Amino acid sequence: MIHSIVWMIWLLVVMVFILSTRNPIYLGLILVGLLFLGHRLAREKKIKNWVLANLRFLLTMILLSTLINGFFSHVGQTILFTIPQKWPLIGGNFTLESLVYGVINGLVIGALYILFNIINLALSIKQLTRMIPRAFHPITMMVTISLTFFPSIQKRAREIKEAQMIRGNPMKKIVDWLPILIPLLVTSLENAFLLAESMTTRGFHQPIDLRAPGNLISLILGTFFVFSGWMMHLFNYPRYLSAPLFVIGFGLILLTLMAVGKHSKITRYHHEEWKPMDIMITIIIALYLVIFIYLRWADGLPSLNYSPYPYLSMPALQTIGLLFCILPFVPMIIKRHD
Amino acid sequence: MNSTRLLRLATDLIVIFLGLFSLTSPFFFTQARDIDNQAAAFPIMVSLIILLCLMIVIFEAQTSLLDSKMIAFLAVLTAINAGLRFLENAIPGPGGFSPIFFLIILSGYYFGSRIGFLVGAMTLLVSAIITGGIGPWLPGQMITAGWVGQSAIILTFLVDKFAWRGKPVEIILLSGFGGLWGILYGVIMNLWFWPFLGAGAGQTFSHTAGALENLQRYVAYYLATSLVWDITRTVGNILIISIMTTSVLKVFQRFKQRFSFQIQG
Amino acid sequence: MIKFTDLTYRYPLRSQAVFEDVNLEINAGTLTLVTGASGSGKSTLLRCINGLVPHFSGGTIAGKIQVFGSDPIVEGVEVMAHKVGFVFQEPESQFVFDVIEDEIAFSLENAGVSRQEMERRIQEVLQMVRLSPLRKKNLSEISGGEQQKVAIASALVTQPLVLILDEPTSQLDPVSADEVLKFVIELKNHLNLTVLISEHRLERLLPYTDLILNLSAERGAIIGKPQEILPLMYQVPPIVEIAQRLKISPLPLTPPTFPQVKLSHKPLKQIEKHCKPQDARPVCLEINGLSARLNDQLILDEVSFNLHQSEILVLMGPNGAGKTTLLRSVLKMIPHSGKVTLMGTDTNNLQFAEIIQEIAYLPQNPNDLLFAESVIEELKITLKNHGKVAEGVNFHDFLKPFDLGHLGDQYPRDLSVGERQRTALAAVTVHDPRIIFLDEPTRGMDYDVKKRLNFLFHHWRQLGKAILLITHDVEFAALLADRVVILENGKLLFCGAPRTAFSKFPAYQTQTVRVFPGTGWITPDDIAPDLDLQ
Repeated sequence: MIHSIVWMIWLLVVMVFILSTRNPIYLGLILVGLLFLGHRLAREKKIKNWVLANLRFLLTMILLSTLINGFFSHVGQTILFTIPQKWPLIGGNFTLESLVYGVINGLVIGALYILFNIINLALSIKQLTRMIPRAFHPITMMVTISLTFFPSIQKRAREIKEAQMIRGNPMKKIVDWLPILIPLLVTSLENAFLLAESMTTRGFHQPIDLRAPGNLISLILGTFFVFSGWMMHLFNYPRYLSAPLFVIGFGLILLTLMAVGKHSKITRYHHEEWKPMDIMITIIIALYLVIFIYLRWADGLPSLNYSPYPYLSMPALQTIGLLFCILPFVPMIIKRHD
Repeated sequence: MNSTRLLRLATDLIVIFLGLFSLTSPFFFTQARDIDNQAAAFPIMVSLIILLCLMIVIFEAQTSLLDSKMIAFLAVLTAINAGLRFLENAIPGPGGFSPIFFLIILSGYYFGSRIGFLVGAMTLLVSAIITGGIGPWLPGQMITAGWVGQSAIILTFLVDKFAWRGKPVEIILLSGFGGLWGILYGVIMNLWFWPFLGAGAGQTFSHTAGALENLQRYVAYYLATSLVWDITRTVGNILIISIMTTSVLKVFQRFKQRFSFQIQG
Repeated sequence: MIKFTDLTYRYPLRSQAVFEDVNLEINAGTLTLVTGASGSGKSTLLRCINGLVPHFSGGTIAGKIQVFGSDPIVEGVEVMAHKVGFVFQEPESQFVFDVIEDEIAFSLENAGVSRQEMERRIQEVLQMVRLSPLRKKNLSEISGGEQQKVAIASALVTQPLVLILDEPTSQLDPVSADEVLKFVIELKNHLNLTVLISEHRLERLLPYTDLILNLSAERGAIIGKPQEILPLMYQVPPIVEIAQRLKISPLPLTPPTFPQVKLSHKPLKQIEKHCKPQDARPVCLEINGLSARLNDQLILDEVSFNLHQSEILVLMGPNGAGKTTLLRSVLKMIPHSGKVTLMGTDTNNLQFAEIIQEIAYLPQNPNDLLFAESVIEELKITLKNHGKVAEGVNFHDFLKPFDLGHLGDQYPRDLSVGERQRTALAAVTVHDPRIIFLDEPTRGMDYDVKKRLNFLFHHWRQLGKAILLITHDVEFAALLADRVVILENGKLLFCGAPRTAFSKFPAYQTQTVRVFPGTGWITPDDIAPDLDLQ
């Protein structure tokens, strides 16, 4: 089992790569890698038809975005057919380039979707909830309890439905659900009260009383900085202005959360061990990231910026770009090695 | 107004402003970077900002609202609502019909804006965790569902001002509100997806087009893709709310005391 | 030691105090049985010890409490959590996590215990309750009894001095209940705990009880040794009742300690009933070779028996024996093989709506049915569901045998537990069905509720109705069963007279039988008044 943080780092880097390119060949290769990885993980979890389900989504997205782009965008040189101009918005040329552009869009969305599905496969619910920082312990408790209660509430709903049906409830219209919802609501809320008692009895204390609103203010400030950094970036302000804003913003937020987390004396029972495999993967991914950032900065990866406009052409490929497409395979390879 | 309430108000406003602005930013970006790669990162950045907004609201709620009773209360309500979301898969017919909104609206209406927000946001989170459906769209879903619950406070204000509690007008108001959000939810969620589907130069969402033209394109895109879904959601909301409200509010009334909400959520 | 001085408590917004001026002292290392009718304040009193009252519940408290040197009123629940462990009634609603070891770790996490220490204590406590191999299992996969053991483990992991259990076995079947209580006693001795248990089923604990604390409206709170308090109590176990009637002193607490009895009289009521009732009562439900499967497992295996009019049939058997499956099969809610005949017609030829016209069902949680504004509304709803007219029906008269005649306009959820149960019963029987199925109606109920149920059953019997009662409560069943059916592993183990059922099978013997084996007496009422005692 690969450590959950390692998975998150992998997720981040692959996502960065996917979002940096519109080169359909790169995207296609990454997708293949992801599908392989997902297939492997799904097989371990005995989930059937994972690849099929994801492929279906991918194709639907490609179709959707292709059609939308083809009909709404009229840029491009290779005209397939023309819709009369008087038709609102879709009037104009339907070009091959815009079709291809739509396909690329679909590939991006699909890749992101499949990427996150892999994370959902790789990480258990427990691992996901444990990654939430300690500063958010109360809400994590709430989510945990919700997940714990969910099956029993479903079971209760079925019992109530059965009892009401035997009492003659026809279960046909919406109004027939009221005799199920209301008892369920009342009983569950009563159980919630009992649960709160049980929690309190076992020492669950009220959250840290942060009367000093300082922490909240610094979180808000941090968010504003990040937001401003983004805005500046979008408005083409130079990088040396937007980047620091990002860094300060995130730094502020992280520091605040860490400070709050340290304040709470709650300890955690579970602990994920860092195995050599985890360290190896992290190093490899970190290398990838560093090289990638350097190359982007130095403009050494022009093959990423592919555009079918104005005239459809063959996408360029670079060996180093292809190397990056191997990233999805990394967890698989290292795991097999282990 | 003391400092805590001021801070809370500030938090709410900031979150609403930042969130809405981020989502509607595609309309304003007429001069953004013209590198095609930019636009795909757009929704991810929006998600990130929204995530930070959610973090702020939750952080604030933790310090003033979430004691053990409230945690249990929210957890149970969320679990029920998440369960209702599964019903939506079981009901045949056009998608969009979603039974999760009425509890969110009624919680916000009866218990206050923050509780309404949390019920909304957490329902989406918990059901995403259960179905293994966590993805970059989740923050957008969470905050929009949160706004559904949070905005119900407007109705509380109206009903209290005109002493409409217990009268049929109350139900009509709530149903209408649910109907409105039926469409609004779809509109807002699509705002998030839209840049994905049409990004870059000369596309559905165009950097070089003016704000008005972008809006036109968005409306067309919306009508073409999502309207049917949203109409079923609207009709569903109106029906469910008009039928369920009275009984559910009675249940809430019964429990309000027990969970002794110290602060108006 | 635990000491209450002039303790008075009132819930928020209530004018009446729950208890007033309570004074009592409990020494360390003792087992105290807390008894009293529902609503007498037992739970409230117990919650004072760990501070839930008043810190969690609100309200006004006066007086002083001392728990091993700490005052919970002053210290609050979090501090008291280190000294007092608490186990609640419903296993399901006390669990935060779904995996056993996580649940046990919860208290330690909250207390900020280091990870190594946590591991050590969790292992230790799991070994104590003998659940070590199950530590990574999901709480939903284990039985109710094991769940309560986990709850006990969670409470003990902070190494408290006091262990409080609030009706820990009321939701469990007798076998699990016995196990859990046996454990508690073992743990108490092993760890030298001070234990307080609130229970309705006193029989099991009496032999090990050091003190009885009884709460009643008339006398308030009294505490003392069992021999002192038992005579003052409203409801005592059968063995004590027998001893009191026979004027035996000191009161024996377990069957083996009962003095030998020389029986010079033939016991009364030697009527033997067989699988058919004595008189020729018409059959209303015939079950022939009924088999049913669930998830490929055979739950019911060729079960056959009949249900007659004016009869109370008690269906017993361990959990998982198929009792609820039987009900579901008869109601055609699950597929089954074999023949079920209702009022002379094969159920295969009947619609569901026709079947439920004649069969009523009270689920294990009667609250599952209640959702209307008033008791009478509930009745009207059922009538409407069955397509019957509500006009002209005298609901107040109908409610009288349920002891609800004066409560027709009440909001059902505001009623007491027993009243709610009878409201649910009224609601499912208002359309005059001929057969009534009840699923564990006495679970967690006190004596009063059972008495009123008994009255209701006899009322129905007089009207010619048939009652099928699923229960674990042997003493209750012995009081009112006309015939008994025992299922085990899906097969019919026994069908026949109560006297035989409750004497012959060790798992179903009443206390009376244990005291007077071989006499055919199964309840204290059976005993001949003039007995020679040695």
